Amino acid sequence: MSTAITVPDDLWEGDSEGVITAWLVNDGAEVAQGDLVAEVMVEKAQYEIEAPAAGVLTIAKQEDEVVEKGETIASLES
Amino acid sequence: MSMTTTGAGTRKLTIARAMAEATAQEMRNDPRVFVMGEDVGPLGGVFGNTRGLYDEFGAERVRDTPISETAFIGAAVGAASDGMRPIVELMFVDFFGVCMDAIYNLMAKNIYFSGGKVKVPMVLMTSTGGGYSDAGQHSQCLYGTFAHLPGMKVVAPSNAYDAKGLMTAAIRDDNPVVFMYHKSLQGMGWLGTEKGATVPVPEESYALEIGKATVVREGHDVTLVSLAAGVHHCLRAAQALEDEGFSAEVVDLRSLVPLDRETIRASVAKTGRLIVVDEDYHSYGVSGEIIASVVEHDHACLKAAPRRVAYPDIPIPFAPTMEQWALPNADKIVDAFHQMMLS
Amino acid sequence: MNHTPTTEQRLWMYRHMVLSRYLEERIESLYMEGKTPVFNMAKGPIPGEMHLSNGQEPCAVGVCVHLTPEDIVTATHRPHHIAVAKGVDLDAMVAEIFGKATGLAGGRGGHMHLFDAKVNFSCSGIIGEGLGPAVGAALSRKLQGKPGVAVAFMGEGAANQGAFHEALNLAAVWQLPVVFVIEDNAWGISVAKQASTAVPRNDRRASAYGMPGVHVADNDVEAIFSAAGDAIARAREGQGPTLIEIETARLAGHFMGDGEDYRPKGEKEGLKQRDPIPRYRRQLLDAELLDDISDTDLVEQAHARIEAAIRFAQDSEFLPPEAALEMVFV
Repeated sequence: MSTAITVPDDLWEGDSEGVITAWLVNDGAEVAQGDLVAEVMVEKAQYEIEAPAAGVLTIAKQEDEVVEKGETIASLES
Repeated sequence: MSMTTTGAGTRKLTIARAMAEATAQEMRNDPRVFVMGEDVGPLGGVFGNTRGLYDEFGAERVRDTPISETAFIGAAVGAASDGMRPIVELMFVDFFGVCMDAIYNLMAKNIYFSGGKVKVPMVLMTSTGGGYSDAGQHSQCLYGTFAHLPGMKVVAPSNAYDAKGLMTAAIRDDNPVVFMYHKSLQGMGWLGTEKGATVPVPEESYALEIGKATVVREGHDVTLVSLAAGVHHCLRAAQALEDEGFSAEVVDLRSLVPLDRETIRASVAKTGRLIVVDEDYHSYGVSGEIIASVVEHDHACLKAAPRRVAYPDIPIPFAPTMEQWALPNADKIVDAFHQMMLS
Repeated sequence: MNHTPTTEQRLWMYRHMVLSRYLEERIESLYMEGKTPVFNMAKGPIPGEMHLSNGQEPCAVGVCVHLTPEDIVTATHRPHHIAVAKGVDLDAMVAEIFGKATGLAGGRGGHMHLFDAKVNFSCSGIIGEGLGPAVGAALSRKLQGKPGVAVAFMGEGAANQGAFHEALNLAAVWQLPVVFVIEDNAWGISVAKQASTAVPRNDRRASAYGMPGVHVADNDVEAIFSAAGDAIARAREGQGPTLIEIETARLAGHFMGDGEDYRPKGEKEGLKQRDPIPRYRRQLLDAELLDDISDTDLVEQAHARIEAAIRFAQDSEFLPPEAALEMVFV
């Protein structure tokens, strides 16, 4: 089963774009549900992206890439 | 302890998170540990290194202070002497001017003055470095200034693994430790973070011995010695030199006090050439000390005069054209090596 | 003493608030160039930290309207409004903010380090560090037998620095012509005044140093005018220093990019409702010192002046990088 990791719609106020400043897990790694996997920055504020499920991570959006709310940035295979 | 290898399944941290994790683990284990500083509470530190601590430990142990560095750093000395283990933050190292007496006349000297009967187990963490046009009161490194004054250990990590291990060691140390973290390594995207600083970090608590340098890249033609952000310039320079057919060894000092002169001397004995890279001011500083440490021990091991790539002796200018020109970088290190080979 | 401003003074204060605000609106948008969507402070035509003063303009104009170019002002890391009101050369100031050769310091200082010796203005990025120099400048005038008062501006957070207490005592014990002006915007970055300050009002601290302490509520231009006029007149007459604390408002973050999550919900909207510039405009319109036509003229002229300064800065060159080595014995 595949679960998408998306940028939650309520992660920050407004509809500004963010940027992925760090992946805290490597591509291909196995993660548990709730693990902190990435950091997204909007202006100087940093937000955390957690794994919505357990699985093996496939990164779709790399560090320094710009992301919008709701956008899929990775997937988890279990 | 060697660095863990990067691989699938390994969790990575930014230096900011590594510092916060080490602090949280020590706070869970030791009720004497507490944190004080400007904006370290709900904000989590301007540079992210206390993020999450306020939520877990509350306002009693994670204390936002007034803008009163003399008072709260002096208070940390007093609390440390009375059995606590405070961690205090000086937001920018440049601000040391308003509170240096508490640092170098109290924190650094009280153990000595008491004949060792009073302990001062505190950590002073402070941000260093420029490169983002914050001008001369918010961009300095001042490594040499702190390392010069006896009585305090001084560490400056280049990556999150070292940051966590050194932070843990600093908190457990019975002596004052100045923990200098470079803003460009911190993992704050708005400071244009160096990717090489965000590395795999074990979740369990561990301490690195303070006072041990590490060879982060082996080579035999030249030794590049640096610390913090400079290590990453050296690694890029070493890669560029490899493309030219030269092999550079990179030594990450990690700690300025104590200084691991043995590791530096052993490397230079092998390569015969020494370039020191330092974002702190050129004169009277770290670069001169490293060179002296080698030369006064054995000048015959050198095949060429040692060189330094350091910040010129000028206040850090605001204009990016001037600041970027003045900063050390990989190209300047490669150039220094070329000059060395010509002479 | 009569501290009601003349019509000319009222319009001067309004015009300088409009100038400062428009300058910052333009800086705000230019600062974001190259910083969206990825906010990297090093990028764009204005890199580095940017501390906007919008909302605090009344403090600057209500004080500086009483000053001459010979009087001394030391300001803070949030200096634009005060620099504008003190008559700092706008072209050179904006060029400095852009880091250009034509800037006040040729680009060496940037927005936190503006020096214009012609009007005796300076500022510093270190909290509380403008007070000592203001005291010293006042001492210098006294020793030289020259006229002039010194005004040290600071934020409310600076009142907890040692330098604040030392400087107040020194100015008082030597009865120097200094006025200390606290711009209380209620926040030191993320820390609220009441969480960091043992007394609700810093003007009460004046009594510890035997000088008058004056409180001005509600960011009121003319109340500031009156309090400052009184203090500056006392200083000029040799009656020593005064401490003034002004309740003002920081309409933006501590610096640009600040998420401002520390503010209570609705606070910012409330502050914007009380924006001092539309308030003062309304006051002047009601007093019939201004009408829609003269207001439009005044605003357009102010905007044109700022646009000219920005063009001047944009059209200027950077100094050669080697200029960084000048003046410091390298």
